[in-house]
Amino acid sequence: MSESIQTALRTRARELLELGEVSCVVGYERSPRGRVRPAFVYDPADADRLVWDDTCHHNLMVYLHDRKNPPRRGEEIPRVAVVAKPCDVRALNVLLHEGQIAREKVFVIGVACAGMCEESTEELQARCRRCQERVPIFYDTLVGEPPRVAPVDEDWADLAELERLSAAERLAFWAREFDRCIRCYACRQACPGCYCFECMAEQVDPLWVGIAVELPEKAFFHVMRAYHLAGRCVQCNACELACPMHIPLSLLNRKLVKEVEALFGYRAGGDPATPPPLATFRKDEELPL
Amino acid sequence: MKLTRREQLAAWLDALMERATVIAPRQVESELLYRPVAASDEVVFDFQRTAMSPKGYFLPSTEVLLEIEKRGAEVTLDEALPQEEQVLFAIRPCDARGLRVLDALLVEHEPADVYYAGRRHQTTLVGLACPRLWPECFCTSIGGAPDDSSDVDVMLYEVDGGYLVSEVTAKGAALLAGLQAEETDQPAPVSDRDGPSVLVLEAEAWPALFNELYWARFTERCLSCHACTYVCPTCRCFDVRDYTTAAGPNGIRIERLRSWDSCMAAAYRRIAGGHNPRSSKMHRLRNRYYCKFNYCPQDFGAVACVGCGRCIAVCPVGVDIVEMLGDVAALAAARVGEGGADE
Repeated sequence: MSESIQTALRTRARELLELGEVSCVVGYERSPRGRVRPAFVYDPADADRLVWDDTCHHNLMVYLHDRKNPPRRGEEIPRVAVVAKPCDVRALNVLLHEGQIAREKVFVIGVACAGMCEESTEELQARCRRCQERVPIFYDTLVGEPPRVAPVDEDWADLAELERLSAAERLAFWAREFDRCIRCYACRQACPGCYCFECMAEQVDPLWVGIAVELPEKAFFHVMRAYHLAGRCVQCNACELACPMHIPLSLLNRKLVKEVEALFGYRAGGDPATPPPLATFRKDEELPL
Repeated sequence: MKLTRREQLAAWLDALMERATVIAPRQVESELLYRPVAASDEVVFDFQRTAMSPKGYFLPSTEVLLEIEKRGAEVTLDEALPQEEQVLFAIRPCDARGLRVLDALLVEHEPADVYYAGRRHQTTLVGLACPRLWPECFCTSIGGAPDDSSDVDVMLYEVDGGYLVSEVTAKGAALLAGLQAEETDQPAPVSDRDGPSVLVLEAEAWPALFNELYWARFTERCLSCHACTYVCPTCRCFDVRDYTTAAGPNGIRIERLRSWDSCMAAAYRRIAGGHNPRSSKMHRLRNRYYCKFNYCPQDFGAVACVGCGRCIAVCPVGVDIVEMLGDVAALAAARVGEGGADE
């Protein structure tokens, strides 16, 4: 399956570049060490560098932020093609809603996705076991046949354990997890939704968060980031996968996903027509807060 | 050479903990990290490499440099110089070599960093040889070796029945007082050196390649996070700020704080007026490599990379310093072939 997707991807990428439809195809390649990583293909002759398998977990939408401005003043913003799984397209949808990306500048090569695997255990990632979406909500071209996967009910089982704890116990849990955070911001940098030109955690004037790499600053950063992603996080898990200290950041983000879903019946990036609730004001709105 | 059994080594460690802070590899949740240990059974002896280098015990990720107190017209400055003796147990040869690099920059180059120098002086290094190169390692390409004892005070080699103990310095010999061990004429085992052979260009060869288009392509996938710089045993950039910790009608107390900073951060090189000479990730990542292989060797006589492989292991998007070194060597060779090397 992934082999035929790979062949189709290469063919499509080559065509797009040959026809001049796009200037670059952002996809995946195999590094000299054999691991999959993001790739940028400019030359149709290089299209065969592209690969597809169940370790293509990176959310490539993050690279669209590098391409929001023209290379030189006065020039047009070049159009790019990007390989996108269903979760990646949800992230793109959030960025479209937020006016970050011009839709016509992105050619979406949607991929029918059977889920991504953990690199260490080769088992399906937890987020992919829960995922119901096999085909992106929109695309310009689709590669692969939608795989048949048995539907799973979202039971929030991973959160239940934390929710059972008292507030003090939860605080202790997160203090233990954040303690080994090194403030490298890999989580933020890997997140398509974190695109502030200057992050509040690093802003100097005014200085909201101190420079110390200590628990208060680290905890503040993570909680702030989680809140800034409330109603925007698409559960692609790019943050957790990027974390060099393996902090279970998805627990934090999913808690807010759950709350937003309970309050608004809304999942970020899911429906191109529904505006995000936390960016929408309705005069008559009443919330059970 | 002496031979000590694991339980004898553990007993010595336990006794040592009574009189000094012992820092050793310890499992902290999901990660293996150098941490102060309270008992030898917390120490992990069998490991490849720790998630972080031990540089934080010499250049902490956060430290108070000064406390300033102002009462009326009277101002007092209190320098928080490190006082405590510490033992770093089971440091790998590459990480110890990283300290030699930091010494060249922070101690041997005036003005010395008194905080770093103080901790270096008050620390005894007990090395633990690697039997081989681990995945991502390339120490042998950069002048090191998995069993190199040149930068430690004591070197341990794991052998059948325990550890061979080599006293490298007088400081190390003193530390070993009380260790139960028997004399042996068994030679130190030679570690397996199988690993990548990477040609590292001489410092002088780098400037000619500065404007190669290669850099924009190679750095395109970089996310501009700080992970590579923070796990690196030789990256040492920092930020300093003053914080008011107490203020009242009688006076004010200020703390001068230093913390790690990263040249990968977009704002790192921003200057007054808002201009940023390293505004793109191409500028930033290229600078990181030039710092390691061109600027540090030229300014301080030390290549600022020890081949520990952490930056490769930790990068979320597969940016690979070994790949870069190979590419750069090929670029340089191609330029020589074209006769354009002296541009």
